[in-house]
Amino acid sequence: MESTLISAVQGYASSRPATQPGTQPGGSMFGQLMGDFANTLAHSEAVSQQAMVGDVDPHALVQALAQTELAVETAVTVRNKVVEAYQEILRMPV
Amino acid sequence: MSEFSKALSISSSGLQAQASRLRHLSENISNAATPGYRRKTIPFEMEMNSGVSRVTVGRMSLDDRPLDHIFDPSHPLADESGNYEGSNVDLLIELADAREAQRSYEANLKMFEQARQMSSGLMQLLRR
Repeated sequence: MESTLISAVQGYASSRPATQPGTQPGGSMFGQLMGDFANTLAHSEAVSQQAMVGDVDPHALVQALAQTELAVETAVTVRNKVVEAYQEILRMPV
Repeated sequence: MSEFSKALSISSSGLQAQASRLRHLSENISNAATPGYRRKTIPFEMEMNSGVSRVTVGRMSLDDRPLDHIFDPSHPLADESGNYEGSNVDLLIELADAREAQRSYEANLKMFEQARQMSSGLMQLLRR
């Protein structure tokens, strides 16, 4: 009886680290990705503002907006996937 | 920078080059009746930049075909034989060139749209 209790406590202690947030190398890469995304948005915003003042080539404006659209679409798709995976984990029977 | 982004930027450079060509064509056409005007031509050049070859316009040059001699003794620029030098712009050539610029512009627009649709379709794959 006592030995099963000890083994249960040991099992719990050994499985605890799996639930703790780790510092994986993927975290910094994701941060860099977000930085690139923010840069794309900022560039598009700057070009749009210049276009409204009238001193930028319309081709550059269209290109910047199209690239931003693609970036936002990618970001939204990735976010949806991440949220979906999180919800899938939450639904897991414990 | 993904391949789709590169394709978008190359198409954009093509659009810019054709727009610049059209600008020089309209300069030629509007100056077709200007005495002594020489037709302007621009060459297209390939620009290699980080593995992507965009198109740019090179240095503008003047067409050195002989100018038209127009007989009009009442013109202020006419010499003693009654002739003066007009421009060497041929409207037919300019219009044909303008049509070619338009076709090329449309082709670049299609490629732009194509790259956008393909990238969008790829992302559509992850959606349900």
